[in-house]
Amino acid sequence: MAAVKTYYQERLRISAIWNSAGIYIAFIVFSVVVLLPIYWMLRSAFAVQADLTQTPLVYLPSPTLHNFEMLIDQVPFVEYTRNSIVFSVGTTVTTLIVSYLAAYAFARLRIRGSGILLWVFLLTMALPDVGTIVPLYRILSRFNLLDTITGLTIVLSSTLTPFTVWVLVAFIKQVPYEIEEAAIIDGASLPTILWRILLPLTAPGLVTMGVINFINAWNNLLYPLSFSVTPASKTLSVSITEVFAGFSPWGRPWELIMAVGVTMVIPITLLILVSQRAIVRGLTGGAVK
Amino acid sequence: MTSTLENNAVARRKMTLRLPSKATRRRYLLFVLLVSPAFVLRLATAVYPIVQTILYSFRNYSLLKGTNEFVGLENYANLANNYGVRGALSFTIIYVVASTILGLIVGLLIAQLLNANFKGRTFARTINLIPWAIPTIVAGYAFRWLLDDQFGLIPYWFTELTGQRMVVFIDPTYARLTVILVHVWKDAPFMAVVFLAGMQGIPLDLYEAARVDGANAWQRFWHITMPLVAPLVITMGLFRLVWSLASFDLVFGLTSGGPGVATSVLALQIFREGILFFKFGFASAISGVLLLLVAVIGLVGLRLYRRFDVTY
Repeated sequence: MAAVKTYYQERLRISAIWNSAGIYIAFIVFSVVVLLPIYWMLRSAFAVQADLTQTPLVYLPSPTLHNFEMLIDQVPFVEYTRNSIVFSVGTTVTTLIVSYLAAYAFARLRIRGSGILLWVFLLTMALPDVGTIVPLYRILSRFNLLDTITGLTIVLSSTLTPFTVWVLVAFIKQVPYEIEEAAIIDGASLPTILWRILLPLTAPGLVTMGVINFINAWNNLLYPLSFSVTPASKTLSVSITEVFAGFSPWGRPWELIMAVGVTMVIPITLLILVSQRAIVRGLTGGAVK
Repeated sequence: MTSTLENNAVARRKMTLRLPSKATRRRYLLFVLLVSPAFVLRLATAVYPIVQTILYSFRNYSLLKGTNEFVGLENYANLANNYGVRGALSFTIIYVVASTILGLIVGLLIAQLLNANFKGRTFARTINLIPWAIPTIVAGYAFRWLLDDQFGLIPYWFTELTGQRMVVFIDPTYARLTVILVHVWKDAPFMAVVFLAGMQGIPLDLYEAARVDGANAWQRFWHITMPLVAPLVITMGLFRLVWSLASFDLVFGLTSGGPGVATSVLALQIFREGILFFKFGFASAISGVLLLLVAVIGLVGLRLYRRFDVTY
């Protein structure tokens, strides 16, 4: 009996070793695949061109900020960056306000047909945004919103609203209704309930969707590429396509392209480092019960 | 409990038979007030434009030619003869289906890894968000440079190992494969996050019981994890299919649709014809095809979803 047991234990021990070896191999492969393009970008953005166009490859070129100086010098890089920030913050705030109000109505003010209405509203997510750019181009130009950050902000806020409403409805429903009920009995007005009572309780949801919407706006290419004509409203995502299009006699200016890329990636990476939990909560908020 | 609810309902119906009470009217008013900004936005920038797109698709609307007349199905007939659109249609279907299925599989594998217990798990979970979070256009350019046939890291290593040159973007098949794989790189981590959350919701004693019954790791995954995350897999698959159909960022950065039109997608053609060439009618007809594809996916998806809908 004892012999059988030790044999069995031994088998378990060996299989556990194999298991954890397998996990670590998978972990290493995963990390390399995820980080390799990031390393390549960083390495190219902080190098001079000569270090990038020679073989054998230079894996760790001596770091320089030369490319960023070139960008500031040759393209309206500061304006593009400012536009990206204004566009992203504006879109995030607009989306949150509009979605929070609608989500409250869907979560708390049950009226006949509100369930179907929410469903129809969420279904508009399936409308392909690229299929709307032609009419939107005309609509924006009619309202003098073509080539403005305001126009871009309105359009993208609309695109991001359904998903935000969906997640926020779930967050508001988790807050016990008794708290609001008590406030209503005490005679609190709707703005008071929304602003003073419910807002702090749904803050985690709002932060989550704020971060996700910021990332979406910061990364958005379709709308600025379609509706921005001058540096007045062009964002970093457009600027990287322009730098790419600018051929030099030595071929593509990869060190500059990657420098714009790094400028776009660094704020996003910092954001996910500090709010990893919030992001995961938001991405899974709608899909997982 | 039920009877009081029913009594309440009966009572309420009696009351609303005449006029809605003041409180009910107030509730309706508040509802409309709170919901209208969101609805106005969606109507103005999504529903109305889509209707317009469908209408434009039957007109020879072109900003440069200055034409705008009803032409029936002429645009759609021209689609069939358009080399770029025909290529884009076939690659779009291959691309979205292949990259979504591969993405789901890789996403499940990553979720399995992130759900395992090992040192460095927090690190893995954090870097997992990087591909999802970075701009698609930047990822496209980064991989284009990483795969550059002269100074790219991967072709360089390939040459060092095999002595042969690796030229990815000249050959249509390799270019297409590359677009699909980079899409998976970008998309699978997002799926993994959702699957991981689903896996964490599965009661652990299910696995314990299976282990006691002698089920191995693969059996536990296939018979416990899979059935329970299947609805999530279907939902994610549908979402990503529809989303991939509408986006062209990756192709724009990675291959610009080339070589030729081998990796062009419908979304990219809409952008080119509509925004770059101002052929509004023709671009709208491509959008019409895109909408049709979305509708087909929706219908297939609903059927699939009903079959796999389980509760736990």
